[in-house]
This record gives sequence, structure tokens and C-alpha cells, in this order.
Amino acid sequence: MAGTFKRVGRDRVRVRLAQDELAVLRGLPDQLRTVLGEDEDEPVNRRLFPPAYLDVADIERDAEYRRLMHDDLVKEKLSNLDLVTASLDRGSPSVRRWTVELTDEEAAAWLGVLNDLRLALGVRLDITEDYDGDVDDTDPRAPAFRLLSYLGWLEEQLLDALQT
Amino acid sequence: MSRMSTTAPARERTTRQDDVTEPDVPWVVIVWNDPINLMSYVVFVLQKLFGYDREKATRLMLDVHHKGKAVVSSGPREKAEFDVYRLHGHGLWATMQKDR
Repeated sequence: MAGTFKRVGRDRVRVRLAQDELAVLRGLPDQLRTVLGEDEDEPVNRRLFPPAYLDVADIERDAEYRRLMHDDLVKEKLSNLDLVTASLDRGSPSVRRWTVELTDEEAAAWLGVLNDLRLALGVRLDITEDYDGDVDDTDPRAPAFRLLSYLGWLEEQLLDALQT
Repeated sequence: MSRMSTTAPARERTTRQDDVTEPDVPWVVIVWNDPINLMSYVVFVLQKLFGYDREKATRLMLDVHHKGKAVVSSGPREKAEFDVYRLHGHGLWATMQKDR
């Protein structure tokens, strides 16, 4: 794991990634876009767009909330994905490391996308409170668990940089 | 022709949404624990969305983590819905209910 986020100046965050990290990250936004295009009953979408009201008496209010808000939430997430994709497409590759400077808006988008990716992976891996980060290497899902950890590590670093 | 009543009219029963007849009932916004979100991320979001300082945001996050949920804001229904919307936008599992 080599990727880092660092605040530079007052309103930029510099991202540095190794080439293999960059390759992994470049493949992820489209997977999330595909999920967002599936229907609301898809388990990841149920987690990304949960009900606002749980009370049975508020069923109509919740339907109204979804009717009004769901599309805006999807649009926000797609907009974040576009910002991340665009920044992954620029940046300067050197022999070993790739670097890009993000605006505050782009850094916020990266945070949202990293978090949405973790949620999607977590749902797919059926993560529960019992999950302690240990990965059984013989489990065919081991690479996915490692990706979840890696994205969490990136997210922690980005949070540090944003709060510097 | 009916006789005009000289007594006060009886209270009219109307069918209205109950938040019109109960405009002051506050709603609370609850964030629920989930096994995926990072604790540091939840603290960050609570600070960002509600302007809480780090201590308060951390206390709320720890309540979510240890008690399963915490009230993070309250207010009229429209404000609570907007808070829920913003929390959903940041991937937190939030719901709202009448403050009892």
C-alpha cells in the first residue's frame, strides 16, 4: 500500500498512487455506476438509498421522500464519480508513481466515492458487526476483503488530509 | 329557516395532515450503527453537516457505535427530512421519527 493524500497549500489535496493502485482504482467507478443503474431492490441500492421513515404510520411520507429525493441522491453520486474519473484520467505518471492535485470539490468527491465503494463492497461481502478485518486467504472472496481494507486505508488518509 | 345559534360554534373536525394541527411537534433524526462505515468518517460527516465540534461529533459517533443509534439533530419535519437527505448523501444510515 503506497497511496497517500496530502494537503498542499490551502485548497488542494495531492494524491500519489503506485501504478498498480491506479489500475485498481480506475476500474472501480464504472462498477459503481452499473450498480446505481440497477433497480432500488438491489441490495447495494437498498443500503445506499435507505428509508427515511421506519414507522408504519409514515409509509406515505417515506414514499414521498423517495419520490422527491432518490433521483437527486443518484445524481450527486454520479457527479462525484465523474469528478473522480476525470481526476484519474489526468495526473502525471512518473516511472513508479502517479500524482494529481485535487481541488476541495474533487477531494470531497473522492471521499464520497471511496465511501460508496466501501458500502457496495461491504453489502456484497455481507459484512456484519462480527467482521474484524481478518481475511482467510483460502476464501475466494479474499481479494474483495483486501480491497475493502485498502479502500478503508485510503479513506482514513484522505480524512486526515481534509482535516489538516 | 334555521335559528341562529347564540352559543359558540362547535370545534370543526377537519381532515388535515397531522403536522398542520401539530406544527410544534419536533422530529428527531437518528443515525444507526452500521458495520462498514469508518468511525472517523462518521465523525467527519457529523462535523461537516451539523457544525459540531470534534468532541461532540465523536461522542455522537460513539453513541451510535455502542448503543446502536443516536439522535444527531431535531426540528420541524422539513428540516429533519433535509438532514436525513444529506446524511443519506454521505452514506450514513439515517431515519427520522416524531420526538416522543
